[in-house]
Amino acid sequence: MTYLLEARELRKQYADKLALRELNLQIAPGEIFCLLGQNGAGKSTTINLFLGFIAPTSGAAFVGGLEVAANPLEIKKHLAYIPENVMLYPHLSGLENLALFSSLAGFKYPESELLAYLTDAGLPTEAVRRRVGTYSKGMRQKVGIAIAVAKHAKVLLLDEPTSGLDPKASNEFSELLRRLSEQGTAVLMATHDIFRAKEVGTRVGIMREGELVDVRPTATLNAQELEQLYLTYMN
Amino acid sequence: MRVFWILFAAEWRHFRAAKGLVLLCGLLLATGVYGIYYGTTEIERQRQQLAALPELTHRNVEELKVKFPGPADAGDIGYYHSTFAVHHPDPWAALSLGLRDVNPSYVKLRLLGLQNQLYATDNTNPMKLLSGNFDLAFVLVYLLPLLVVALSFNLLSSEREEGILPLLLAQPIRSATVIAAKLAFRVALVLGLVWLLSGVGMAWAGVPLDGRVFSWLALSTLYCLFWFGVVLVVTALQRTSAVNAVALLGVWLALVVLVPSLLSLGVAAARPLPQGIELTIKQREEIHGGWDRPKTETMNRFFALYPQWRDTATIRERFVWRWYYAFQHLGDLAVAPQAAAYATGLQARHNLVETLNLLSPAINAQTSLNALAGSDLPTHLAFQRSATRYHDSLRAFYYPFLFRKVEFTHADYAQEPRHSFTSQPELATAQHGLLKLLLSVAAVYGLGLMLLRVRPVSPR
Repeated sequence: MTYLLEARELRKQYADKLALRELNLQIAPGEIFCLLGQNGAGKSTTINLFLGFIAPTSGAAFVGGLEVAANPLEIKKHLAYIPENVMLYPHLSGLENLALFSSLAGFKYPESELLAYLTDAGLPTEAVRRRVGTYSKGMRQKVGIAIAVAKHAKVLLLDEPTSGLDPKASNEFSELLRRLSEQGTAVLMATHDIFRAKEVGTRVGIMREGELVDVRPTATLNAQELEQLYLTYMN
Repeated sequence: MRVFWILFAAEWRHFRAAKGLVLLCGLLLATGVYGIYYGTTEIERQRQQLAALPELTHRNVEELKVKFPGPADAGDIGYYHSTFAVHHPDPWAALSLGLRDVNPSYVKLRLLGLQNQLYATDNTNPMKLLSGNFDLAFVLVYLLPLLVVALSFNLLSSEREEGILPLLLAQPIRSATVIAAKLAFRVALVLGLVWLLSGVGMAWAGVPLDGRVFSWLALSTLYCLFWFGVVLVVTALQRTSAVNAVALLGVWLALVVLVPSLLSLGVAAARPLPQGIELTIKQREEIHGGWDRPKTETMNRFFALYPQWRDTATIRERFVWRWYYAFQHLGDLAVAPQAAAYATGLQARHNLVETLNLLSPAINAQTSLNALAGSDLPTHLAFQRSATRYHDSLRAFYYPFLFRKVEFTHADYAQEPRHSFTSQPELATAQHGLLKLLLSVAAVYGLGLMLLRVRPVSPR
């Protein structure tokens, strides 16, 4: 089977800290894999390794079957990324930011489509032409979602994507993830939100001190069991 | 290339939104226009001054014609009559005044000893000399790098600090393309300003459209590229915007202020000059001593050097002009070695600066632009040599009247030699400067690219 995301013995060692210990992970098309763990557990390091932002100490990360280190540009065509705090050019409008990032990804959309991406992501119509500098964190996050969706990527890397979103917007985002999953998109989401992970994820992985200590299908657990499992590892 | 142009176009939108930077560019444009105005006004003032000199000579002649209505002793005329050696500025000097404010653009000459006349200048406000010229070359060499710093100190660090870089680099684009597009936009903007100002300056100054247009543009372009190369090096180190700003201003301070000052001190120590006052005192002693020396001794020394006048009558009178001019002439000859050593010393200092200016592209650019405009030291020394030859020709004109006892008539005034000297560009110096700038540019870009290779851009 071809995995869209794969880590083989992936390790990241900083001078004084082991950030990721021999990670082995495969995420298939349509899967939503949620990484749970405390700050510093290695969730963001994993995402940064898949993005090629940092080089692994050993092992390899693959996106769409391509090794990240050997194909740093090619793999970025296949993935979209939403950071915890989406930051955009503040003097451009949401519409202009989306147009810019989409064109950098190789997509040139008419304005009507750009508007549709933004409103589908939950940005109010009246805000799309306003400077992003006037946006709340949640509004910026929605533009980030629109940028990711407009890229039509096979892989979504999400680092606390619902941070700053209100519950309604978070639910809408979960819906969006499910839709994308149904279309075959593989999702790797780092989150602290156990319930969101249970609600949207197909599998959850628990990370502690740079190590993936447990992986469970969400279908086999209810929310309370997942919380209990998480707390067990954290303690 | 598609991504490059998308980023390039985005930079234009970012620039338009940064009102402070737009204002700074406007300010540089305004100071550049003022620099052109200052330079052209100064050169026009010098031109008007030089244009008035023939009228002064004419008035002097008219006064002498009244004072000496009939045929006169040429000695009287040589003593009272003054003429001028003039150093006409090249039109390019309006863009790079160089030493034209310090060195005189004309020398008032009489038939007396030359050396003290050669260095007599009009009084100048020393505070004005201290503050220097505010010409276009000054704006380009000293102020332009500050605009480059203001535009580029946060070339990539602003995106990193604002948190935009991770999202940007998550797109299928190389970080090198991002840096290249950002740098290229700023280079285009600054070069646009430089070329615009240069074009306005050239048109305003009315420079001839010769190869120097290319040389000027090439020098200013390479100089700008050098500063953007420094920006590339600092950007490649991937520090914060504040650290970048301090580093870039430090480089500016070092290359524009510190190195030139140290170079000036070093060159003065390495190439000491004979004191001008020694030359002046020696010449005065020789000339004043001439009154007390026996006339035969003076004349024999003079005839030994100029035997063509030996057959003139022995001087028995208490005072004759040919004896007076002979000891004036001997005064010049007595200090000729010192005068030559002084000029040679100045040239040697200049040559040493030319050699060492690789250490500071700012000095290199300034000396090259001055050389191009014919406003540098070698041009002034050439003018002094020309003025010396002119004084020799005045002597050659008057001596037959003095030594053959020919009366000087009104018609003879018109036969007197006239002087004119126009600055000539030191093209070889400018071309060497261009090559050295090219080396400096290659060095900084090489270093910047090497650093980027060693330290890939971190999005955070």
